[in-house]
Amino acid sequence: MILISCKNVCLSYENNTVIENLNFSVGEGDYLCIVGENGSGKSTLIKSMLGLKGTASGHLHMENGLTSKEIGYLPQQTTVQKDFPASVYEVVMSGCVSRRRNKLFFTSAEKSIVSENMKKLGILNLKSKCYRELSGGQQQRVLLARALCAGKKMLLLDEPVTGLDPIVTMELYNLIKMINKELGVTIIMVSHDLHAAVANADHILHLNKSDSFFGTTEEYLKSDIYRKFGGESADE
Amino acid sequence: MSDAVNLIFTQDFLLRALLVGVLISLCSALLGVSLVLKRFSMIGDGLSHVGFGAMAIACAANIAPLYFALPIVICSAFLLLRMSENGKIKGDAAIALISTGALAVGVMATSVTTGMNIDIYNYMFGSILTTTGSDVLLTAVLSSLVIILFVIFYSEIFAVTFDESFAKATGTRTSLYNMLLAVLTAVTIVIGMRMMGALLISSFMIFPTVTSMRVCKSFRSVIVFSSVISVFCFITGLLLSVKYETPTGASVVCVNIFMFAAVYIIKTVNSKSFYGKNTLRRLLTCLSCLFFAVIYLFVMLSGTDSLSERDNRVSVVTTGFAQYDFSRNIAGDKGEITMLLSPGEESHTYEPTPADITKIKECDVFVYGGGESEKWAESILDTFDGSVRTVRMMDVVDLYEEVHDDEHTGHTHGHEETEYDEHVWTSPLNAAEITREISRAIIEADGQNADYYRDNTEKYIAELKALDEDFSKAVSQVEKDYIVVGDRFPLRYLTERYGIGYYSAFPGCSAQAEANPVTIAGLIDKINNDNISVVFKVDLGTGKVAGAISESTGAEIRTLYSCHVISGEDFEKGEGYISLMRKNLENISYAMK
Repeated sequence: MILISCKNVCLSYENNTVIENLNFSVGEGDYLCIVGENGSGKSTLIKSMLGLKGTASGHLHMENGLTSKEIGYLPQQTTVQKDFPASVYEVVMSGCVSRRRNKLFFTSAEKSIVSENMKKLGILNLKSKCYRELSGGQQQRVLLARALCAGKKMLLLDEPVTGLDPIVTMELYNLIKMINKELGVTIIMVSHDLHAAVANADHILHLNKSDSFFGTTEEYLKSDIYRKFGGESADE
Repeated sequence: MSDAVNLIFTQDFLLRALLVGVLISLCSALLGVSLVLKRFSMIGDGLSHVGFGAMAIACAANIAPLYFALPIVICSAFLLLRMSENGKIKGDAAIALISTGALAVGVMATSVTTGMNIDIYNYMFGSILTTTGSDVLLTAVLSSLVIILFVIFYSEIFAVTFDESFAKATGTRTSLYNMLLAVLTAVTIVIGMRMMGALLISSFMIFPTVTSMRVCKSFRSVIVFSSVISVFCFITGLLLSVKYETPTGASVVCVNIFMFAAVYIIKTVNSKSFYGKNTLRRLLTCLSCLFFAVIYLFVMLSGTDSLSERDNRVSVVTTGFAQYDFSRNIAGDKGEITMLLSPGEESHTYEPTPADITKIKECDVFVYGGGESEKWAESILDTFDGSVRTVRMMDVVDLYEEVHDDEHTGHTHGHEETEYDEHVWTSPLNAAEITREISRAIIEADGQNADYYRDNTEKYIAELKALDEDFSKAVSQVEKDYIVVGDRFPLRYLTERYGIGYYSAFPGCSAQAEANPVTIAGLIDKINNDNISVVFKVDLGTGKVAGAISESTGAEIRTLYSCHVISGEDFEKGEGYISLMRKNLENISYAMK
């Protein structure tokens, strides 16, 4: 079942067209990695998928009843968050804000979703810790738990491993794979790490101004564009 | 200390101030957390400047300031948000544009009216002590609204503050909640600036948050702790202002600074990087806590409360010096006379302290001018519902309109409401009328000594009459028909009485910042053409304009005494209205020779 379809889309950033004629679709349970050089429009595309930004032209839609309330989002960290006084529990709980019915209090159902997701990501013991005092990897887990609270159908991750050391990066990739395989959550991840993308994802979208590539990982490994961009790093 | 506490709960005006202040502190603390965390600290500051500009325009146009400022400030809050969202002009530049722009418009608006009048001064530094019943109601309604909305949308506000793009991506209407924050901030600033002052209100939002961010680990605890700190600092500041007769708004901010420093230092001492060993670190932390607690208690408990005990003598409280001197001459040693404008103080920016208000409330007779610079007196009297026996000097004599549109100066002002010159006592005959009226009020208050007061009054009025005759005689013998004053001109009643002409650098007596260059050039021409030998300055003025004129013409500088506020030096020397007026007589007849 297709959740997001993108037909003939053009995206622009500050009046410069960054992507032309983009076509792809995301099906349920897919693990899609969006790769490409800096400035190729990865973050812009994510923002357009989330409805944070409009498209210049074309058709980019959620299909089959998917709404923004079913999508979890892991944005790049902002400077504001670095010294933000909030407990881990408060941060994860804020993932439930848009879905709740009762305006004044969180229901026990919502609270159990929060604890469940914290348990899955192994951060239940950090519950009352201060978010700003956590390590980078722990912070990403917290934000991942929050994203899971916000939407259990699909997660959009914007460069989740930026600034993490190799071991923590591996752990996080495994965690995301677990979420995809075991929880059945559709994953769309922006990454500049081709290696990891090829190793983890089942679909690859390689953004390039006029001739972007979209297909399964196997197809991608045989493609010209992979040879051109990924060849050197594959040789290492 | 206990006296100060006692006073707060026995005096209605202090109780009202306490209530309003606690509510505003609470609102500011709640909103401050989001503003600081969203990096919007300067929006509070910017909006308060907009508020000031709006108040100034409202004062100029004679509209109720609060109802005019509220929508304007809310609109600018929207505008600021939109500007920083669009990113065309960066956030801090947008705030700087709007706040300095509003300030400039405000200053323009004040120059159209009488200059820096007392209302506008109040909005800059606040006048929480003159809070009326209706102010309390308005503040209570608006601040409860702010608090209720904040509590209802607490989770959304957290989400929008912590991570706006996440909230928006997952379907929260972030622009709605940003607007909500902006409106709540605008409302808090408008009601807060009436009480605490436009220049200080944003510190109410920022200090408690920054302080509690040092110690708290969760958003909820930051909010609770900063509310507690905010209310605590307000109450402490109010007590201090009652105890040490300091302005309330500034006192509260100073307590906030103290709290911030205390928390910052204790936290630093307690951090591992400061000193590794646990036991010693704990000891040092305890010591620093103790240190700040001792300072706090020392400041709160030490010293004697400035409120003096009352004796049985008739008590008269006056605003300025002239009426003080009249009362002193009437009551002699049977009265206790208090002057609120202490020697050397600037009359146009005077702000009553809690002790002053208590003195007014508890005196037998309160004598005040009733002009533009003493609006505070009327707002205080309003809160007493006529329970104080008063003499309003401007009611006693015939009034002249305040000079605005004046051929002396070339200024043109469009002003609809008639304002009267408040320096009514400068004519000796008016002084006699006022003395008679004060005497009547004192006798009413203390009938037992009526004969003594009557006797004194008659003697004093005889002296005033003699002064009047001497003036008439002196003026009839001079050659020139005007004087040149390089200053404000507060002696209009005197000059009108004796037909003395004058040319002055400022119209009337407004506390304007700058003199008009055309006017000064005109004065210099007058001096050169008509061979004038003296340019006057007014006592306690800066004398700058007179100095400049003297430099370019060689005219001698002499002083005119307005008797509104006396200089500390003259007060020490025991000068009175009559002795100062005789100096005026001497100087004027010398200048017009």
